[in-house]
Amino acid sequence: MIWRVLHAIGLLACLWAALLHFPSHQLSPRLAADYHELFGERNYRVAQASQDVAIKPFVVEEHCRPEYESWRQAHTIEGIDISATEDCIPDNPWEVAAAVKGTNNVDMGTLMKGLLAPDAVDKSEDRDGDGDPDLIHIRLEIMELNGRSTDVPETLPYFEIAPGIAPGLWVFAPKSRGMSTVNFESIEANRLIRLPAPAIRVEQDDEVMVTVENTHYLPHTIHFHGVDHPFETPAGEGNDGVPMFSEHPVPPGGAKTYWLSPRQAGTAFYHCHVQPHSHILMGLQGLFIVEENRPNNWVQTLNVGGGRVRARSIGVSERYDREFDLHYFEIDKELNDRIKAATDPRLISKSIHREYNITQRVAEYYVLNGRSFPYTLRESLVVLKPEERVKLRVLNGGGEGLALHFHGHKPALTHSDGVILKDEQRRDVFWMASAQRADFALSSENDGLKSYGAGAWMLHDHRERAVTTNGIGPGGGVSMLVYDDYLEASGLPKTVHGEQSLGAFFDPAYYRGDVPVFAMMPHGLGEAPVTSPSSHRSFRFALFSFFALLWLMAGWVLFWQRD
Amino acid sequence: MADGGLGVVLAARLSIGLGLLVTLCCQPLAEHHHHHHHHEMTMDRYGMVMHENHDQLPSDCSEISERVRLEVVVGRKFAAPGRTFGFNQHVWQVPPCSQVSVSFTNDDEVRHQWMVHGLPRYLYPQGMFHMEVNGGHQKEGVFIVPSGRATYLVHCDISHHMEQGLKGQLVIGEGSGNLPSIPGLTGPRFRDQDGSQQ
Repeated sequence: MIWRVLHAIGLLACLWAALLHFPSHQLSPRLAADYHELFGERNYRVAQASQDVAIKPFVVEEHCRPEYESWRQAHTIEGIDISATEDCIPDNPWEVAAAVKGTNNVDMGTLMKGLLAPDAVDKSEDRDGDGDPDLIHIRLEIMELNGRSTDVPETLPYFEIAPGIAPGLWVFAPKSRGMSTVNFESIEANRLIRLPAPAIRVEQDDEVMVTVENTHYLPHTIHFHGVDHPFETPAGEGNDGVPMFSEHPVPPGGAKTYWLSPRQAGTAFYHCHVQPHSHILMGLQGLFIVEENRPNNWVQTLNVGGGRVRARSIGVSERYDREFDLHYFEIDKELNDRIKAATDPRLISKSIHREYNITQRVAEYYVLNGRSFPYTLRESLVVLKPEERVKLRVLNGGGEGLALHFHGHKPALTHSDGVILKDEQRRDVFWMASAQRADFALSSENDGLKSYGAGAWMLHDHRERAVTTNGIGPGGGVSMLVYDDYLEASGLPKTVHGEQSLGAFFDPAYYRGDVPVFAMMPHGLGEAPVTSPSSHRSFRFALFSFFALLWLMAGWVLFWQRD
Repeated sequence: MADGGLGVVLAARLSIGLGLLVTLCCQPLAEHHHHHHHHEMTMDRYGMVMHENHDQLPSDCSEISERVRLEVVVGRKFAAPGRTFGFNQHVWQVPPCSQVSVSFTNDDEVRHQWMVHGLPRYLYPQGMFHMEVNGGHQKEGVFIVPSGRATYLVHCDISHHMEQGLKGQLVIGEGSGNLPSIPGLTGPRFRDQDGSQQ
């Protein structure tokens, strides 16, 4: 009898212990409250102490390299004035000069200081006698970035949109010469092969030929979206870039010349029109700008990577002190990374055109001029001074809308889809549909409306997902409007703790989610504790319940089955 | 990753020792070379030839053993199944110390290259002899190979042209073994992931 009593007491003790450790956090709030009424709150336990987080040191010179110093200065190259730039990674002034004067009109020495092919931009024939060339022939190639290799485990040519992030891409690139990488021992893409495709500028009424030399392994075309172009070339060939209805696409290894003589100025768009729901989103798209006709108007035919225009047209210079091309775009890695799985074009075509389902598309990456924050700070800042007027040409090349927001400013929307507006609209958020272009006049006049004064102001898509890189912020296409007093000598914006505090963002670990988001700030929270008390609680509940069951069975056999 | 992969890339793409990092693309033509008598580069609207060498003997050759002519044609029509481009042949064998003159004809409408890697660096900057020809054009180039048994990588370095079939090997004498992913000869080091290729 005594054993039976002891067994019952032991059983009750085990059940009581189990109940004390019942995982109340899994109950509904109502039941949890009842539970805590009966059994009391858990005991206070000291949480794990915060651990310091090591931030990767930020070496400015690795990003804004000293050899770029001469590139930043103002130059006059073969009579072409190239403006100075504050950018951490500036455009090569010799490439800019060759793109303005024509690669056929510059010395071999100038051409060799850049990577453009001798026939990348041919300019000739001043037909109206106004001092500038009117026959323009541009040659583009089609390049793959971050694609699969048969010989090395890495994808190549390597192009990062953000630290450690290199989605597969196809781009139009200016015709270049030599290797696609910076040298044979590197897998890094050379400067001309990058996202986005170059912004192209021509003058109104120019006769323009654009030859696409299809260096890629799939068929492609160019469609000139919003640019005055005839449906057929003067030679009677299709000219709209639409397969079947206009023309056959350009096969791999083939070439095709498009012809246009745009009668209207404005900001437009060019993109591949083969399987457009995938090819445009693989990156085959760029800005196409028609500048107003002016005497002696030498326009910068290629703006590689977008951003600052270092040789502005006469028409823009009359009204603006600076000009920037801003090309927004978003990437779904489920599409773009398909080129990392195979090299056989039949497999890639099947995967991209038949297996990928765009109706399920969810983008992870948002880029401005081919980069996400913090890389946007190196090459796509809008830099300005007080009392200036800045022209921004913006393209939303992605498949989603864009809510472009300016901190500290209300710019005027002057043109929509390249068409001048009768009444300028002044706002601080502008909704831009897919493929839409917007021209803005941004004034730094400190009147509390156009500008709130000097500073380092944010410029970003206000849809919250677009300020992240795969959910980690700050990322995405975030850039800034920075007054020159708020720039470091490097060209990066000043921060409250110096450039060093940007270091966390230039580390791939940050965008893997391995770095606490307040780590670069004083009183940061430190790393999150690794264990959770409630999981211990569930474990102990399970353990005591198990003991109770064991005790019940053992006692039953030993003390209750006898007699 | 771009820097970290350097060694792997080199070993995989070259199969020769490490050399100086020289940025070919940024090397201005105007900057003259010090101790080479061959042409650094000749370039026109239709292409270029780099590091041509008619008469400078490799240090291990006492004379030119033979004069060899290679007729190289590149184009889509030579592509193997599952590839986009091809050379008319992907293996070229020449005697040690021979003077090789290459006629490089481009049958496509896009740029292609015939780029040899791994040559002696004291004679050929970056160990390269390089020809690049626009679509529909042809170029001539001459260089002299050393005496040792070697198999040199030949390829087109335009993005993914090597993966798409423009990879070959220049075998000196008996050579030093085949390179991977030579069309018609060897398989790739990294196969397509869904396994249906080769």
